[in-house]
Amino acid sequence: MISTFFGADSLGSLAALAASLVIGIFFGISLEKAGFGSSKRLAGIFYFRDMAVLKVMFTALVVAMMGLSIAIWAGLIDPATQIYYMTTYYGTYIFAGLIFGVGFVMSGWCPGTAAVGMASGKMDAVVFMAGAVIGSILFNEIYPLIKPIVTWGQSGLAAYGQPGLAFLNESLGIPRRVVVLGITLIAVACFWGSEFIEAGKGMKSYFKSPFLARFSLVLILTAGILFLIPEKKFSASESRLSTAAFAPSVVPSGPDPVSDRALLTDVASAADHVAPEELAAALYNRDPGVLVVDIRPLDEYNAFHIRGAVQVNMPDLPAFVSARTDKTRIVLYSNGMVHPSQSRDQLYRSGFRNVFILTDGLDGFIDRCLKPVSLRSPPLSAEAARQINAWRVFFYGHDQAASAAPDSVFQGLKLPGMIDTGRLADNLTRPDIKIIDSRSQPDYNTRHIPGSFSLSPEHFRGNVDGVPSMLMPAEILAAKLSLMGIQPKDLIVLVYDGDKMRDATLIAMGLERIGHTRYAVLDGGFDKWTAEGKPTGNALPQVQRSAYLVKHGTDMFSVSYVKVLADVQNKSTLILDVRPEDYFTGKKSDEARAGHIPGAINRVFSADLAKIDAFIGFKPLKELTDIYAKLIPSLDTPVVVHCRTGHQASQTFFLLKHLLGYRNVFWYDAGWTEWAARTELPVDK
Amino acid sequence: MKLLFKEPKPFSNPYIAGIFLGLTLLASFLILGAGLGASGGLARISAFLEGLMFPAHVAATEYFGAWGKNPLNYYLVFMLIGVFIGGLFSAIFSRRISIGVERGNTGPLHLRLFFAASGGVLSGFAARLAGGCTSGQALSGSALLLSGSIVFLVCVFAGGFATAWLVRRQWND
Repeated sequence: MISTFFGADSLGSLAALAASLVIGIFFGISLEKAGFGSSKRLAGIFYFRDMAVLKVMFTALVVAMMGLSIAIWAGLIDPATQIYYMTTYYGTYIFAGLIFGVGFVMSGWCPGTAAVGMASGKMDAVVFMAGAVIGSILFNEIYPLIKPIVTWGQSGLAAYGQPGLAFLNESLGIPRRVVVLGITLIAVACFWGSEFIEAGKGMKSYFKSPFLARFSLVLILTAGILFLIPEKKFSASESRLSTAAFAPSVVPSGPDPVSDRALLTDVASAADHVAPEELAAALYNRDPGVLVVDIRPLDEYNAFHIRGAVQVNMPDLPAFVSARTDKTRIVLYSNGMVHPSQSRDQLYRSGFRNVFILTDGLDGFIDRCLKPVSLRSPPLSAEAARQINAWRVFFYGHDQAASAAPDSVFQGLKLPGMIDTGRLADNLTRPDIKIIDSRSQPDYNTRHIPGSFSLSPEHFRGNVDGVPSMLMPAEILAAKLSLMGIQPKDLIVLVYDGDKMRDATLIAMGLERIGHTRYAVLDGGFDKWTAEGKPTGNALPQVQRSAYLVKHGTDMFSVSYVKVLADVQNKSTLILDVRPEDYFTGKKSDEARAGHIPGAINRVFSADLAKIDAFIGFKPLKELTDIYAKLIPSLDTPVVVHCRTGHQASQTFFLLKHLLGYRNVFWYDAGWTEWAARTELPVDK
Repeated sequence: MKLLFKEPKPFSNPYIAGIFLGLTLLASFLILGAGLGASGGLARISAFLEGLMFPAHVAATEYFGAWGKNPLNYYLVFMLIGVFIGGLFSAIFSRRISIGVERGNTGPLHLRLFFAASGGVLSGFAARLAGGCTSGQALSGSALLLSGSIVFLVCVFAGGFATAWLVRRQWND
């Protein structure tokens, strides 16, 4: 890809000045060879006496136009950033053009040709140049007075982030390649017309000459070939705008055959898309021409939106977009792509050409641009990692870039794990900490940790496929978290009281299922909190509902009876039954059958807890490590924990996996309830 | 006018010259990232010249003042110098140097000079207003398919054709 001096912002460099000199030399040679060192020849066109100006200028225009088109199509140059474009001021240019035309015919010169004229010894060129210097100085002197007409009648279009930049195809609303072909055909017609006129005056003419015929043919063929190239090829990249992407304002509705074709071409070539990375870069760099619009409902927008986005409901989009035709790109997004696509297509048909959709939607934006560096594979380059981290800080706010750069407040805190009452007290007011209290409602209503939510673990369970007291599927859990305004980035603290650690850990199983690993159980629970005199209250928490994104494939620990049966049969996995001994042996029973799974070992869950002063918590970890080391051969031994319904087992699961470091811990949720009920399954006593 | 060389060569085929000019313009786009220009360089020279005479005043003006103390340090100035050099080379090579005031055989000298000067003033002023002349706006801008440049181009010819009859006498043969 070519980097021009303008594109590299180095037009002032020595190299650029030298290049300009050389280009100027060829410019001068071309003009002189054309005979433009003669004012008489130049003025001739206005008297139909010498049509050279028309032939030379129009040829040069067509050659440069097609050459540039080929360069852009071949991907050699990015038209959006490498070329300087003048803003279109219709009023100014009409006025100035007319005056310049008068000056031109009067003097027979323009500045460029006059330079050649001077070099050719023409004194009238010198006089012209002197006049032009005076004219320039005059402009400078009266500039404050005439400033309004210097930027008079700016075009309402915009392109490449530059307001007022109007291309002919946009202004006329016809495709670029039609314009190129049209101009070429007009040029050829003018050439033949000029030759005809000159032949009529008895001058040497190329009219009907083989040269003119061949020349015309070459021009038309080249324009014809360019005509066949799809429009999108004239955009430098997928997300650059095709130049057919703008229209001045709303066109009255009604089917528009040209638009339908153009629309579908855009869709097929994804020219209606903007990639997440492109949008992230544009927003991060504060591109003034880009406007991102969230078309989801207001509550979803409030929960999280792309920084810089405004929320507009779909029916309000036409009015919204029509007031913003100055924007280069209006990018619509929602969680997915369907609604934005539908909206964009409708807006396109109504004549709005500056509307695009975000590829892969918000989900894709978060995944591609904001997923932590450490979670990506293959690993990113240092530069890409810096970019992602910068975007995370920008789009999430300063305290959410946590996973790549550890959050200093929670340094040393292993999540999932336990959190100390002191540390929680210090961070109680942080909006990204959500406290879930699993105590009874009356207890919660009397007093609770300020800001905490009352949630019984039973709210995360129900009857699944006929089996009672099963943990709910991920979608339901995510929906419940959304109602509490919880987001994936939140640290969830689980609070229990008495010996009900298992209530907290059962809620934790729900969090594990949806992959929410940023959680901790409050060490000592509510009893320790109050024993230490820490603040409590009874106001209900303020909630802004969120849209908790459901992740899939994050539950790698739940097993079915089928898997457990296979484990029993090939003795590959240790089955740990955490029910009280009497139930394990079958002495007592509250299920269909009494006993335990063949080959299972028993360690009751309550043996892992101990009373410490005013509260109940886990026994010292050193002690528990030794106890379990005698039961489980190694940290890698696959272990399936179960109880009757999974409630008690959740506590042992949490202990083994997150506190003692066992790496292959599984959870048989349906537990003895299902195993006993299925009479085909073996039972030991 | 006095011919410096005997037997000047005839002008080139205008279409070939046009191709050459077009390729030069294309090179300018691809190398400089900007089109050709002449009035831009001329304006800078004007700022320099006025600055020689009234430096404090020029520095205080909004338009020329924005170009700082060295208005000549600008790519278009070098391009204009190149145009002169290239024109000189070509004129010498083609033996087309003729010293004097070009006009119609019976066109009055004073009239020609008056029109050259006043036409120059108008062109110089209008080129600043439009931010370019036939090279910069009309030719380069139109090659880029800029709507404004095409409008400018059309108006140049409109203005020219409208007043051609009024200034015809200088070209009378």
